[in-house]
Amino acid sequence: MSADERADLPAAPTSREIARALDLALEVRQRLRDRSPRETATALAAAARCWIEDEELHRGLPAVARLSAPMVGSVLPRVAAAFDVEAMVELVNRERGMSPPPGLVAAVVASNVPALAVPAIALGCLAGAAVLVKSGRGDPLSAPAFHRALAAVDSELAATVVPAYWPGGTSTLEQAALARAEVVVASGSDLTMEALRRRVGRRLVAHGTRTSVVALDIRRERCVDTLARAVALDVVLYDQRGCLSPQVALVAGDCEAFADALVRALAALRPVLPPGEATLEERAAIRLAIEEASWAGAHAVRAGLGGTVLVETWADLRPGPGGRTIRVCPLDSLRALPTALPRGRIECIAIHGDEVDVAALEARGVARLCQPGRMQEPPLAWPRGQRPALGSLLRPDDPMRTLLDERTLPASAMRTCPEAP
Amino acid sequence: MSLLAELAATIRAAGPAARGFPFERWAWRVFEYQYERNPAYRRLCERRGISPRTVARWQDIPAVPAAAFRQADLACGPAEAVFRSSGTTAGDGMRSRHAVPSLDLYRASAVPTFAHFLLPDAVRLPMLALLPPPELAPASSLVRMCAWVGEELCTGVEWFADDTGLRRDALQARLVAAADSGEAVVLAGPTAAFAALFESGWRVRLGPGSRLMDTGGAKGMRRPLSRAGFLRACWHHLGLAAYWCVNEYGMSELCSQRYESVLRERFAGASLAPRRLLAPPWLRTRVLDPDTLEEVSPGAPGLLCHHDLANAGSVAVVLTDDLGRAVDDGIAVLGRVPGAPARGCGLLLRELDER
Repeated sequence: MSADERADLPAAPTSREIARALDLALEVRQRLRDRSPRETATALAAAARCWIEDEELHRGLPAVARLSAPMVGSVLPRVAAAFDVEAMVELVNRERGMSPPPGLVAAVVASNVPALAVPAIALGCLAGAAVLVKSGRGDPLSAPAFHRALAAVDSELAATVVPAYWPGGTSTLEQAALARAEVVVASGSDLTMEALRRRVGRRLVAHGTRTSVVALDIRRERCVDTLARAVALDVVLYDQRGCLSPQVALVAGDCEAFADALVRALAALRPVLPPGEATLEERAAIRLAIEEASWAGAHAVRAGLGGTVLVETWADLRPGPGGRTIRVCPLDSLRALPTALPRGRIECIAIHGDEVDVAALEARGVARLCQPGRMQEPPLAWPRGQRPALGSLLRPDDPMRTLLDERTLPASAMRTCPEAP
Repeated sequence: MSLLAELAATIRAAGPAARGFPFERWAWRVFEYQYERNPAYRRLCERRGISPRTVARWQDIPAVPAAAFRQADLACGPAEAVFRSSGTTAGDGMRSRHAVPSLDLYRASAVPTFAHFLLPDAVRLPMLALLPPPELAPASSLVRMCAWVGEELCTGVEWFADDTGLRRDALQARLVAAADSGEAVVLAGPTAAFAALFESGWRVRLGPGSRLMDTGGAKGMRRPLSRAGFLRACWHHLGLAAYWCVNEYGMSELCSQRYESVLRERFAGASLAPRRLLAPPWLRTRVLDPDTLEEVSPGAPGLLCHHDLANAGSVAVVLTDDLGRAVDDGIAVLGRVPGAPARGCGLLLRELDER
């Protein structure tokens, strides 16, 4: 049975069914045009609270997303936590401006981490648009579950949302569905984005391959274990599959000591958040990373039960193999961080220490800064790829920005120890 | 006589069909030679606490990851040639460099193996290579091998690619001429080059006895083509039945190659045997569990680790980025590990295209 014929995947709709559902969604959206952002935000927040209780979702998601049940139980509330009413209203007030809402926003979400569809639905609703959300093969359940939850609290708003799944490459259906959208937001590999751009053109807001890092100044740090626990949580959540998952820890200070602490922290998290079953390809990628690091003279390779820590003697910022594998690389100081980063490839940096030059990081293309331990809790306002979360749906040419994640990274807190996860 | 020359002579004398080739004895001698003369490899062995004195089995000789060829020169002496992997998308820094101190050893391994699997009937045919000539691609180990094969086993070799890519019109004209005269030919080149030829929809029926060697798989193809699709296309566009189409598995990091068994077995009256990639007796491949680097049970998938004695001048044991499984006395390649840089001769013509 091919991946696209899996029994646990929903059947693809026909072009006609999609067209009918979109007609209805656009019609209802028109009726709701005078609805206040607060009313929409309140409904979305209530739906998010229901959604994390959805039994069908908890039952089915571990298998399709290849995550352990405890992991699913841990990540869903983190997604829902972004649905704060005041934060959503503030986002609308800040980014919506006077632009008329688009009629239809289509979101084509990647498969690497689950529940990507849920914030996509929320942003579309907050933009005042009808929303078509096309789920990836790795999670066809979250969007319908959120749709059910929304229908339970606000059936009219739910009627503006069309969740759908079809196998990638179903070109007729995809063409028909995406042709009606004024904006298509898509996440996935650079290759997928390129293919989509050929079909969708300038309407596409593309989120291609990006990666994240941790940058720590531990030279005068006494709570290295606490920091390591926070970084381990960032690595472990979603089994390190997302663009917010750190692949590299750049450390000013004793890399070896930090690596030791990280190995212990990863091992401690394993029973709490066990990994999903890795495929042969994933296991092989980890092995090759270990062998390559070992060959290249990595200072040490610490392969523990909880994950793999490669201690490098130079800053190696290539994307890693995932599967809870992280490189620990030396950094002179956080002042040297911007020049150590490849331009336009880093999504998020978890920072601990002072001397952070936010403007230089922004110029480097970094989209979000936060504290260690908070990387997997992006607020809805997260400007993915530096594109304003809501503004990019309304005005494709909105200026790029970086989110200094105020909720988790007040400037005054940069030198404090993060809370233990 | 140096070890490399002695090994070349041994390989030539034995030939690819040899039974009882003294693989283990040579594996130990080659390891000792490389440990002494290859400082980068020796450092790896020392880090692992392994030396020729401590190795009890050939399987315990340390492997270098294929990535090592991107990072260091691994030769045991001055190189007579340096082969580079192709890899447009990965950039120059991600290309392998295989410095080969003895081209004669490479030739001793490559040419008889080609003859064994592609020319079991010992005919001498013209070779039509969908490749650039050696002067345009001096760093291609595949081009070098085809030049030797043309010289030694064929009536000559004609090159049908240049610095603009595949010379499709010239190739088609040559194939039509061969078909019209009933002349049998050997076609050789990257799978992607054949796929590009087929894209035009053009067809010809090559004369009986014509055969094809392709290598590189789907890498570099503009539109992916399955193996079964490729074999159908060979029949449709060239009139070659599937058993005349032999896939080669090689790497610029290895001086020996594997070939599909299909044509040789056809001549041996064993047409129903499964397609699999067979090797000469001086190349052994282990299929390893990624977690433990122990051999998997027969038929189970894992990482391919080659032990190629013809690599005596550099490093004999190479852990690849390829996944595969054992099939009887051979292997099947299942694909590449995700994230591994795109590489291989399938990209050679695309590089020329993009120059």
